[in-house]
Amino acid sequence: MAVDLRLSCRIKQKPTTIYKEPDHLVTPGDVITTDTGFMRGHGTYMEDDKLYASVAGTVERVNKLICVQPLKSRYSGEVGDVVVGRIAEVGQKRWKVDTNSRLDSALLLSSVNLPGGELRRKTAEDELMMRQYLSEGDLISAEVQAVFHDGALSLHTRSLKYGKLSQGTLVKVSPSLVKRRKTHFHNLPCGASVIVGNNGYIWISPTVNEEADSTGGFVQDLNPVATADREVVARLHNCILAMARHRMMLSDTSIIYTYEASLAIGSLVKDLLKPEMESEVVTMARERLETES
Amino acid sequence: MAGVEVVSEQGFRTDGRKPNELRRIRCKQGVFSHADGSAYIEQGNTKVLATVYGPHEIRGSRSKALHDRAYVNCQFSMATFSTGERKQRPRGDRKSTEMTMHMKQTFEATILTQLYPRSQIDIFVEVLQADGGNFAACVNAATLALIDAGIPLKDYVCACTVGFVDDVTIVDINHLEETNHIAEFTVAMLPKSEQFVMLEMSSRLHLDHLSKVMDMATKACKDVHLVLDRAVRDHVSEVWQQLGNT
Amino acid sequence: MTDLLLSEAEKMFIIHGVQDNLRVDGRSCDDYRHIELETDVVSSANGSARLKLSQTDVLVGVKADLTTPPTDNPDVGTLEFFVDCSANAAPTFEGRGGEDLARDISSTLARAYSSDRCSSSMLKALCVVPSEQCWVLYIDILILECGGSLYDAVSIAVKAALSSTKVPVVKVTSSDGGKPELELSDDPYDSLRINVKHAPCNVTLSKIGHSHVVDASLEEEVCSLASLMMAVTEEGTVTMLKKSACGSLHPESIYEMLETGKNVGLNLNKQLTRQLLDEECLHTQMGTNREPKGFL
Repeated sequence: MAVDLRLSCRIKQKPTTIYKEPDHLVTPGDVITTDTGFMRGHGTYMEDDKLYASVAGTVERVNKLICVQPLKSRYSGEVGDVVVGRIAEVGQKRWKVDTNSRLDSALLLSSVNLPGGELRRKTAEDELMMRQYLSEGDLISAEVQAVFHDGALSLHTRSLKYGKLSQGTLVKVSPSLVKRRKTHFHNLPCGASVIVGNNGYIWISPTVNEEADSTGGFVQDLNPVATADREVVARLHNCILAMARHRMMLSDTSIIYTYEASLAIGSLVKDLLKPEMESEVVTMARERLETES
Repeated sequence: MAGVEVVSEQGFRTDGRKPNELRRIRCKQGVFSHADGSAYIEQGNTKVLATVYGPHEIRGSRSKALHDRAYVNCQFSMATFSTGERKQRPRGDRKSTEMTMHMKQTFEATILTQLYPRSQIDIFVEVLQADGGNFAACVNAATLALIDAGIPLKDYVCACTVGFVDDVTIVDINHLEETNHIAEFTVAMLPKSEQFVMLEMSSRLHLDHLSKVMDMATKACKDVHLVLDRAVRDHVSEVWQQLGNT
Repeated sequence: MTDLLLSEAEKMFIIHGVQDNLRVDGRSCDDYRHIELETDVVSSANGSARLKLSQTDVLVGVKADLTTPPTDNPDVGTLEFFVDCSANAAPTFEGRGGEDLARDISSTLARAYSSDRCSSSMLKALCVVPSEQCWVLYIDILILECGGSLYDAVSIAVKAALSSTKVPVVKVTSSDGGKPELELSDDPYDSLRINVKHAPCNVTLSKIGHSHVVDASLEEEVCSLASLMMAVTEEGTVTMLKKSACGSLHPESIYEMLETGKNVGLNLNKQLTRQLLDEECLHTQMGTNREPKGFL
């Protein structure tokens, strides 16, 4: 039984280093350019023929488009992104999904695969049985199909790899830590699967031996998970939280390196909750990434 | 009759500052992890925490939703132990409601709300220690929190309190100076365009002195802006490095 | 508190984990998460403490004032608890949203501190002139972040804040006939300290499945059907017991939970006392050069 109570002043402080300012660093109100030939993108606004920055970040220029990316913001989706979301509401012919964005995303009834893999038009009966498929609190993995004019996202799960998520744990991080990659579904060598959602929701679950899963994830396995698998999931959970706290980009490589670093220093899973362990593990993983890139 | 001389003959105030000197400002962004944006600011002994949630779906009555812009919701609250004399209620009294409204108006003018129709942006400020210039510190903290949340703003909103006593304009007045019944201005402005978004005066002032006071207020707000901008730039540089960019 | 939604599968995962004594973050059922504590962070209060228990953040301020003692207990001082759930913690706490929770926490604390041993050790020293004047300590708790285990975090912070409280010493000079004159000492080093030896720490035990856990996270709280709160002192005495949430508890479970709670509570008190002593030494060493870390 452990009670880890410490004084704030005793906790080793990070040395205050002077960080190098990135080029093109702007803060709200800064003039980016007075050249009228540019198109303004996110994070900028035009006034009196001058282009101003409206957020704090770095200026990105793609041909004639200038935009400023803030360091941290709510998730703004793009078509093709993989997201992990939680059902917030069951409505008429659609589910409202919480994806850490400005407005709740919509999952239309016409955008899901029915259990049993049937491909048919949805009837009025299906509308009434919506809650049987997905109810409030359920977690799903989905892809962004379209973006509505007000910024809300329309999701779909029309593929066998998407659908309702079973046993596991969810970790919420900032969307800025997730880069767009080819695949967001990773089966890690340590025996767990990770879904890195573009919206910052990371799902960790024990790897399930997949036979041809034709049920689309609607039949859930609620049997207890083995202790070894559970330990792997717990360690990954703490590693990802540590990475998020130290603002390390999340990808399958960085997650595996952090996991292996935590094993290398021989810490117990729960010791990773301590701040000094967190920074040690993250520093080791960062160094390894640097040497191998 | 004031027993304490606000500005001594040598030109120093009770805490050793010169009339145009601001108190030491220390601030930090990203204090809380679960809010979209948060900031903490210390102006002398005045300590304020601000958190920002949003933009997110309108909570509660859908009727608050505005079809063409975001709804800005503020709350100003003071901890009961923040003042010398214990406060009975942290919020809900007339002064707090007034401050809340001022904040709402200030930030509605600054946030580019037309980018987020039908959403809501919450700004909550909590005064932990009140030693004069409370509202100004709240506005400064809220600006930092909004920038931390990545919400687009026209410009920083920098606020400062300015007093006028015995023909001397003093900036960033503390609680002791406030209690001396001097003419007191609270100003919030957008430093780049030098536009005032909030202006409030108490006690009385002869119009001849007005331009002098306003000039000092402008200068003071610009000084505050320099400090806040420096803090934001340092924070962005730090996070930029941590995210693995070179 | 915020209404967190979890899927059935997630809940099952948590419940089986607790059965296995391996929780989602690798802790065993009687482990606390990492706690950070700092006292004397607010200079406008007589005593203060800030406590961070993972995602839970509370700030406690203690202010002392003179008042007339209660008629049924004329030779002791009093404690008044006030809890404010700041909107910083959750948007639902805006305005009067957090009032129910706040009232519950303050009444739980008041009960925990109402035991006679506690009052005799702490409150007798707060008496200035019996039946005439006594000190009242206003203990104000500000909840800044909610990450589970709120009651526990608040109780630890309150004990820390009380131990750091410095009440000015009062000299009573009797005037000829009429009320005695009170003179407050101006010397900041000449102050009365509160004896927190018998102040309790709250331990919340949440029943999940067939086992129980200490320091439940927000997700674990959702999975728990019933929880038992107990206020434990340094010696292992229980000064308050409360069952909350809508499930029911079997007497056997209650005995098991009490046993765990007592052991955890003893350990918690021991660690806290040790750290508070350490901080006291540090503060005396640094003297006026000390700058509270606070939120920076």
